[in-house]
Amino acid sequence: MAVILIHPKTRVVGMVHIALPESTINPAKAQDKPGYFADTGIPALIREMMALGCSGGPKQMVAKIAGGAKIMDPHNIFNIGTRNVLAIKKILWKYGVSPRTEDIGGTMSRTVTVSARNGRVILSSPGKEEWRL
Amino acid sequence: MASTRNNILKVIEEVKLLSPSAVRLLAVASKKDHDLKDIVRVIKHDAALTAKTLQLVNSAAFSLQSKISDLERAIAYSGENFLLSLVMTEAADMIYDCDLAGYDGHKGGLWDHNLLTALAAKRIAELSKEPVNTNVAYTCGLLHDLGKAIISDFLKGSLTQLLASLEKGEMPDYAGAEEKILGIDHTQAGYALACHWNLPEPLASAMRYHHEPAKAPKKYRSLVYAVHLGDMVAMMTGRDTGADAMRYQLDDHYIDFIKITENDLAQIILDTDSDFRTLKESMDEQPGI
Repeated sequence: MAVILIHPKTRVVGMVHIALPESTINPAKAQDKPGYFADTGIPALIREMMALGCSGGPKQMVAKIAGGAKIMDPHNIFNIGTRNVLAIKKILWKYGVSPRTEDIGGTMSRTVTVSARNGRVILSSPGKEEWRL
Repeated sequence: MASTRNNILKVIEEVKLLSPSAVRLLAVASKKDHDLKDIVRVIKHDAALTAKTLQLVNSAAFSLQSKISDLERAIAYSGENFLLSLVMTEAADMIYDCDLAGYDGHKGGLWDHNLLTALAAKRIAELSKEPVNTNVAYTCGLLHDLGKAIISDFLKGSLTQLLASLEKGEMPDYAGAEEKILGIDHTQAGYALACHWNLPEPLASAMRYHHEPAKAPKKYRSLVYAVHLGDMVAMMTGRDTGADAMRYQLDDHYIDFIKITENDLAQIILDTDSDFRTLKESMDEQPGI
């Protein structure tokens, strides 16, 4: 799943590609690659952006999220996409941020492109025209 | 539609046969109780494969202090799975080079997807309730989606219609939509290819039933469930083959065959991603792959 943060005042744009909701499964990996997990990836992204001068903290940032295709699993094991969405929203909420736009769930893969020049977020999926988030 | 199906079957009949060594290697590797010596026995009778194996192990990717010139040591060092990946890439390069245009995929995408499925299936097979040879699960994963390379060209121009049919809920999954348009889906085409190549039964079963594991012959069912879940892991982690990604159903009876938890799955995703990157790095260093 992609979490995109935009700081309109400084025009700093950042994105993190999250694969799993929680880092407790492998703290060593989280140390090495925090972006892999929602609970370490979002704080790391915010830290990096603040280091680049994004004043006012995360509340001054615009969040967009995309991805999290669904797998129907009554045993609640393979529906990681849904768990990622929940974890991401929970962490953003802790920072006082709620996604301004989102394109989540469904049964398709998405590729996300962010323009660092104008902050535009473009989504694509095989067999479909590109669309803007 | 019947004529498209016949044309596809005709194309399969014309696919270049695998080398005798590749067929023998796959036959040995798909036996439940094979060991490294059986693999060595096949490779040593093929001068080109012997040379390739030694070249591979002595390449920079393995960072050896001193060169290995003994085949058995070389195979033990590189590992059976690495060798199978190498042999399959060379044996079926025509298919692995396919750009999957009919799926709006990209060149190399099928190879990456099959490789990640193989790595995940191997780890999932370790959690099987009935014993499954994990190396056989790996080999099955490596081959499971080859049918897509066969039908891809026939799907060109039908993608919009196919996706619309899925979105309207007219078909349960992408394979069903393929069959509606072509009269044959990628698993049936894969099975026909397996027969053409004279592949062993466990491999052919995985190619045919990886989306319907409950229909696999009973003796291979646990193995096919491992491949089914490995395929899901590959799609979930973005190593897919294009427009069909995530458009298949999970067979929730997997729980009767594979003892897997939420944490196991998360660890498998992490481990296979790491295995995949290491393997790709080593293979990319090999000329001609």
